[in-house]
Amino acid sequence: MSRRIAIVEDEPVIRANYADVLRKQGYEVSAYGTRKDALDAFRTRLPDLAVIDIGLADDVDGGFALCRELRALSPTLPIIFLSARDSDFDIVAGLRLGADDYLTKDVSLPHLSARIAALFRRSDLLAAPRASEETLERGALSLDLKRLSARWNGKRVELTLTEFWMVHALARFPGHVKDRDSLMREAKIVVDDSTITSHVKRIRKKFLAIDQAFDCITTVYGMGYRWNAEER
Amino acid sequence: MSRPRITLGIRAQLLLVLTVFLAIPWLGYEYVRELERFLRDAQERTLAGTAQAVATALHDRPGLFDAGSASPEIEQILHGLSRTTARIWVIDRDQNVLARVGTLRRSDAQPVEAGRTGDSRLARAWAWLEREALQPLYGRVLQQPSEDFSDERSSRPVAAGRDVEGALSGILTVDRRATADGKAVIVSAAHPIWVGDEVKGAVVVEETTNAVLAERNHAFARLFTIVLAALLIGSVALTLYASWLSTRIRRLRDDAEAAIDAHGRVRTVLAGSRAGDEIGDLSRSFSSALARLAQYASYQEAMAGRLSHELRTPIAVVRSSLDNLALQPLPEEARVYMARAQEGLDRLTHIITRMTEAARLEASLAEAERERFDLARVVAGCVDGYRAAYPEQSMELKLSPGTIPFEGAPELIAQMLDKLVANAVEFAKPGTPIEVGLEREIAAVRLDVANEGPPLPMAMDGRLFDSMVSVREERTTGGPHLGLGLYIVRLIAEFHGGRARAANRSDGDGVRVSVVLPLVRALR
Repeated sequence: MSRRIAIVEDEPVIRANYADVLRKQGYEVSAYGTRKDALDAFRTRLPDLAVIDIGLADDVDGGFALCRELRALSPTLPIIFLSARDSDFDIVAGLRLGADDYLTKDVSLPHLSARIAALFRRSDLLAAPRASEETLERGALSLDLKRLSARWNGKRVELTLTEFWMVHALARFPGHVKDRDSLMREAKIVVDDSTITSHVKRIRKKFLAIDQAFDCITTVYGMGYRWNAEER
Repeated sequence: MSRPRITLGIRAQLLLVLTVFLAIPWLGYEYVRELERFLRDAQERTLAGTAQAVATALHDRPGLFDAGSASPEIEQILHGLSRTTARIWVIDRDQNVLARVGTLRRSDAQPVEAGRTGDSRLARAWAWLEREALQPLYGRVLQQPSEDFSDERSSRPVAAGRDVEGALSGILTVDRRATADGKAVIVSAAHPIWVGDEVKGAVVVEETTNAVLAERNHAFARLFTIVLAALLIGSVALTLYASWLSTRIRRLRDDAEAAIDAHGRVRTVLAGSRAGDEIGDLSRSFSSALARLAQYASYQEAMAGRLSHELRTPIAVVRSSLDNLALQPLPEEARVYMARAQEGLDRLTHIITRMTEAARLEASLAEAERERFDLARVVAGCVDGYRAAYPEQSMELKLSPGTIPFEGAPELIAQMLDKLVANAVEFAKPGTPIEVGLEREIAAVRLDVANEGPPLPMAMDGRLFDSMVSVREERTTGGPHLGLGLYIVRLIAEFHGGRARAANRSDGDGVRVSVVLPLVRALR
């Protein structure tokens, strides 16, 4: 049974292009142009994953509202925001509403499909029992590479896909400095430096919320970021 | 705007206007003079009346004048008619004094002020003020009546003078003369005494003008006191009113100045006063003008964001189409064009990212968190990074020894240094080093980035740090130049309370950009 992806995007050409490329990869794709159309369809049958634009024609924040409504229908359904807006404010707002990831429209289609595949893998494994562990252990940090989930001292850290990949890139080689370009490459995003900075800030905050003493991510000014091996 | 040379506040202006009312005491003086004239006339008429009455009583009594000397009968009559402040003489045709009653000196002429000895502190203070300051002042302006004058007529047995002569020639004569010592003026009225058709003698009634003077002085003092009090109360009230006005205007000015920052951005919109007068009106129109300005500014600021947003959608169309195309089996020839199209697209994306960088930075400055960190370590770390990033460019780092504790956002400082160094690398003559210096100053720290290369054009002086200003000549190499790099430097420097400036190096061969950051930051 092929997976169903819903694309909600008001620009017909982009909608068709995304739908085409995903169909080629074997997904079943339904595309909607307005929030109302999408919501009507979701009420009848939920897709397996939703890609939502924030601005839907005249409905400036329609995507946010749709995300909220969709989250109410299903707490686990993977949702990706795909928007032309790239301000920190929009990103934070989108992720707070429960989206799993936030991408700007600069993203290339191969990157988009990589994310979609990763999210499917994660949602599959969250349902399945823990088997064939593939984890990366760095002191208190434990990354489940299959489920794409992170734990700190055994507690789950809610990371978005982008954030997870960034943590993974840093923690793989503790002590090595990762510059912003390589972080971008590994997280499969195309953004500017300051967005990377705010991503790292958000990651730090999420770890700090669990552990006040967390300071494993060091900024190496002028170069990038480094994962500190813990001294224990 | 040039400031006027003479600055006179509203208060000073109103007080200046108030000096017009200083004419009131002068008018009062004129009025009192008029009153004095009137009183004098009345006095003269009274004296003339008295003289006439006495003369009437003595008319047609020839027996009285026959004795040729003082007559007890006359004195008797005179006593019956005498008045306290007047002196009455009766003389015969030869100007011999037949009788004289009364005196010119008033015995009861004491200053009348013992009446109200301080019932309240204020009254006492006023009395003191009147005695010490006002009375001497009145004394200067007005002649004070004095009872201590020489009265040369009183001792002579023979009365002489114009009045007497006039009366003896049969005419009622009123005369006024000053005493020999000039201390008093005596008014006299002489009336002939007729016996049949013949003037047998005369009655002379005399009085000093002291009563009139006292009356006049009293009136003047009262008037002056009232005017003075009115002036005093008026100027205090006006000063208070003017202070209130100028406070309101000053507050409005301060608010208006505070509403717009040094770069012309509207910081806050005035609330607008609810007062119904012109100042309230002014405040409201300021408020609405600022609101419109703020609207326009935010429209402009959002412009870059909206533009990039609008551009992103067609770019996404092109990118997704190219990505789709890449999945098709394409002939080798077509792949070349695909690659070129992708490259062009990447450049477009880069431009858009740069366009929004400044706007995004401004947004993130608003919520940037400050922390304490070692500025020297951050700068040193950054320079290490640049050595790796620009391998063919040599860098010299001059650090003053020791740590430099600084409060701010380290990633912003790094971003600022990125822009400064990228700028320097671009202009540096090949093979020459870039100098990065961090030096302590008094209560501040100076960050310099200098390179050898072409000097700054004079025309750009002072505008380098503005948005969208670039001194680069059109060059085909390198990325797009939007002139935002140094603008970002300025934004970050100002966020930390510092200033950025660019100058040609003293050796004339290159440019030095300096950022001075205060170590003790003024509270915002």
